[in-house]
Amino acid sequence: MGVIKLNSYVLIIRGSDRLKFIDGLSTNKVEGDCCTVFTTTSAKVIDMVDVIDMGEFLALVGHSPFKNDVLEHMHKRILGQDIHIGDASQNNSVYLSTSDIDVADSVTKRNTWRGWILVAPNSEIIDETMDLQDFNEYRVMNMIPHQGLEITSNNHPLACGLDHLVHEAKGCYIGQEILARMRSRGRQGKELVRLENPVENATTLGKTHSLAIVRTSN
Amino acid sequence: MDCNTCDTAPAIVLNKPEVVNVTLTITTKAKEMLDSAFDGDMSHALLVGVLSGGCSGYMYDLQIVESTDQDCQELSVDGFRVLVPNASSHLLDGIEIDYVDRLMGGGFKINNPNAASSCGCGESFS
Repeated sequence: MGVIKLNSYVLIIRGSDRLKFIDGLSTNKVEGDCCTVFTTTSAKVIDMVDVIDMGEFLALVGHSPFKNDVLEHMHKRILGQDIHIGDASQNNSVYLSTSDIDVADSVTKRNTWRGWILVAPNSEIIDETMDLQDFNEYRVMNMIPHQGLEITSNNHPLACGLDHLVHEAKGCYIGQEILARMRSRGRQGKELVRLENPVENATTLGKTHSLAIVRTSN
Repeated sequence: MDCNTCDTAPAIVLNKPEVVNVTLTITTKAKEMLDSAFDGDMSHALLVGVLSGGCSGYMYDLQIVESTDQDCQELSVDGFRVLVPNASSHLLDGIEIDYVDRLMGGGFKINNPNAASSCGCGESFS
């Protein structure tokens, strides 16, 4: 469908403990490139981030309005580990492409579950070919939640369509106990659904269908 | 991503927590178990630290060590040399080291007045 610029931050995580540190704070197994979710002790979402392993450092790409919460979450857990955080948000722009497009060498491209994430230096302008309405239609069609709409601090990852980012066999991380209990009891309270319009309390409105977070029947 | 811009990305200044002069206590049962573990070799020290992680955000780290690379404060508690890393001193002031003697979930336990909550296994706190 096209390319859209996202309202994203880009944090640079350096230091020998970088993978272990992010792994210990988020829901997915972080061993390299992946998408994962930072959650509170009550398992509510702080932000979903794309982790891009650049070899010498990790780039965390998340939603700009959530950046300070993520930074605060990480700061409190730096207790002498070899972790250094930089902010490359001002120097780069982040795009999402629904298909694999050719980009300049200076653009970092990763295939993710939402589409292709492109991190481009500001000197490299990428044409936006999709407006917000198209993007929302793409998300509704593919049941892709988005930060600020479905992915918010009111929801836990299982409720807002991020269950595939909650690793089933991973050990402790912040919020794990609650998410594991929800899974083992089959009770997650709410779930992301796509319904035919009109949809009451829709989180994303599409032309014929919309996304909503509704209470589960169990 | 332009790696040159990443290299020059402004570092985020971390406000390091204030270093606290830690006081801690050891229960009678824990002393007995530590006596047994040290086996009279008081050249070693008990390292009491905190790691990030666990269900609640922080995990205790108890080790018997000869020395450590970490920047620590050294205490003498009931004849034991105790090392507390300065980086986690704000989380450990006032703790009581206890030993719980039971088949499941037994072992050294930390009672921490700074902990708002802890996870079910008792190894993690926030």
